[in-house]
Amino acid sequence: MNDLPAQITLDQWAERYRQLCDGGLREPWYGGPLARHVADGDYRLLRLRYDNSAAALRLWNFLLTEESRLFKARQEGKKIIGTMKDLGTVPIMVYSLPNAIAFYPDGAWWVPCIMENTTRDLSIANSLGIDESFCPVRAMLGAFVACEHFPQPDLLICSVGATCDDFSAIAQRLASVGYPPFWWEIPHRRRPDPDEPAVTLPGGFAAPVSQVAFVKGELQRIRRELSTICSRELTDDMLAAGIRVANRVRGMLRELRQLVFTAPRCPLPALELLIAEMLAIHYCSDRDQTLAVYQDLLNEVRRRVADNQGLFPADPARIFWVNPVADLRAMNLLEECGGRLCGTEFLFCHALDEIPEDVPPMDALAQMALADPMVGSAGDRAMRICNDARRLNAEAVLISRIPGASHCALEGQVIREMIESELRLPVLELEVPPLSDAVGPAIRTRIEALVEAVRQRRAR
Amino acid sequence: MICAGIDGGSRAIKIVLIDGESQQILASGTRDQGVNHDELATELFEKLLRSISADRDEVKRIIATGYTRNRIHLADTTVTEITCHAIGVRRQVPDAMTIIEIGGQDSKLLRLEPNGAVRDFAMNDRCAAGTGRFLEVVAARLDTPLHTLGKLAARSQRPASISSTCVVFAESEIIGLLSSGTPREDIVAGVQAAIAQRMAAMAGRELGEPIVFTGGVALVPGMPEAMENVLGRKVKVAPEPQMTGALGAAVLAARQCVGAACSGR
Repeated sequence: MNDLPAQITLDQWAERYRQLCDGGLREPWYGGPLARHVADGDYRLLRLRYDNSAAALRLWNFLLTEESRLFKARQEGKKIIGTMKDLGTVPIMVYSLPNAIAFYPDGAWWVPCIMENTTRDLSIANSLGIDESFCPVRAMLGAFVACEHFPQPDLLICSVGATCDDFSAIAQRLASVGYPPFWWEIPHRRRPDPDEPAVTLPGGFAAPVSQVAFVKGELQRIRRELSTICSRELTDDMLAAGIRVANRVRGMLRELRQLVFTAPRCPLPALELLIAEMLAIHYCSDRDQTLAVYQDLLNEVRRRVADNQGLFPADPARIFWVNPVADLRAMNLLEECGGRLCGTEFLFCHALDEIPEDVPPMDALAQMALADPMVGSAGDRAMRICNDARRLNAEAVLISRIPGASHCALEGQVIREMIESELRLPVLELEVPPLSDAVGPAIRTRIEALVEAVRQRRAR
Repeated sequence: MICAGIDGGSRAIKIVLIDGESQQILASGTRDQGVNHDELATELFEKLLRSISADRDEVKRIIATGYTRNRIHLADTTVTEITCHAIGVRRQVPDAMTIIEIGGQDSKLLRLEPNGAVRDFAMNDRCAAGTGRFLEVVAARLDTPLHTLGKLAARSQRPASISSTCVVFAESEIIGLLSSGTPREDIVAGVQAAIAQRMAAMAGRELGEPIVFTGGVALVPGMPEAMENVLGRKVKVAPEPQMTGALGAAVLAARQCVGAACSGR
């Protein structure tokens, strides 16, 4: 069996799967051939190219079976908690309880792409007055109303305050049709005044102590609500244990990213890395399996790096990618155009940082929540991107955006200007619709041009 | 040794044939774009070869660029129009530092390094505001041939204020302006200013000079002046601005041939 890394199509995965099975592949309960998900309506899979490793197969199967996992959890009597808008903090609290799992209803924003608009989600959202001018996360509204893609949660928790106005409008509309969330407020993170007591947050930014205390108070409310719903007190010890596991997850992901971004030959495609990063937000409804999926990926990537194996032609342009895309095909395009990822900032870098374990757990979680790039200024986010791009030797930065989606209309420009002035790197702002086939050639041109610009700079 | 550049644009196909050694232009031509991109490009290519009494065998390398570049099968390779315009403009204006290119469907701003390499670029998003298509929509709405828009705009006393962010919005605004009796010349001048403002927004603060305006829209009378007014800088129109992409592709093909194994195709 040829175990050299490669990107393959879904058709090619059928043969590859047979080879892996013949070679003694052992899979968890959610394993199986990748193509079976197309029968479930995940038509976009037909147009993607995949890493050919067993670890990548497990990653995809884990991602695409979340719905079954949620229904199974319901049957097992677990409480199902929808954690909305917050990207990475409240799920840690939920998973600290033995009888609860968190999921991420906002993740329904990928459904129209993955299922190529064959569901009713967007038409339902339209009928509720949340039309195409809103962020694609409006698909979540349709998913709730249609009772599709996930079971009805026992509790919905949603942050407000320093969140984007589109999301707030959608969540409010959700409340109006019978799904009232438990609201909590996250304030806009501000720089401490000169003499004001301050805390350095994970990721390096500072916040006033008073803001951390406020967020801690909000998280205490969530803690009480979770304890009530789950009929079990959520203690500090349980939270501390939850933070330790979260840090294990994050540590593995940090190592994976570091290897992928810095290995001389790219050991994992951009698409699989994007999916892997997404798991860190809410563990795709199974924290233990997230650890197992990461372990497999890490083992595969470590092996490839040690053997100097990789994908793609020699010396691709090193691109730092900002913001996630709804159309996963765009990640393939980067590599088809001669680029590779050397860094990412998919809007939830705080969910990748280590959570402090030397402070009380609620303080640690409050600090974590305030480190969210979306609750601070665009300038803060741009600075972190700049620092990471510099550290990872990026040769260009690609800032993608999705029509209708923006928590800050001018953020792309702020990031662009800082990258240009601090790093003097080419920056491409790229609009990628949720299904980008019709503008595929235009997107390809822009990415190819970015890669060509990198090559010209090298030749200079 | 002949090298060729083919620019398969959204509105027109442009081809330049050059001598691979001297890089002198041997022939150039253009024709309207259609559905069969490959066939149309091949016909124009062969017509140009006939015009200089050359055979296909004499063409050592062909680079295709532009919107339909991947559909042109006689090309040896493809390169984006960003790179090709940079090379083409530099061939004509060796000290160019900023390039504004407005074609039928795209508008671009390129910042160059002193050696001519592309330092950075920006392109319009999906909306056709700020592109040649915008002018076509306006010409159709005003029932005026495209080539006369410039003359019309020159008569304007008070350019109308028109949205620069969306062609559809702008078209609605034009209907409103017409119904309120706004003179056509003021509308056209307003549209030209809107296109220039769109480009200025793309340009940002840092613009090296000389600034060269290229692409088919640079040929529209009044557009260079509108660009200068908005940018507050002198703007130089590239010679034969609609051909710079094809010229750049041909020059790049020649560069790739020099010293490389380009003995035959």
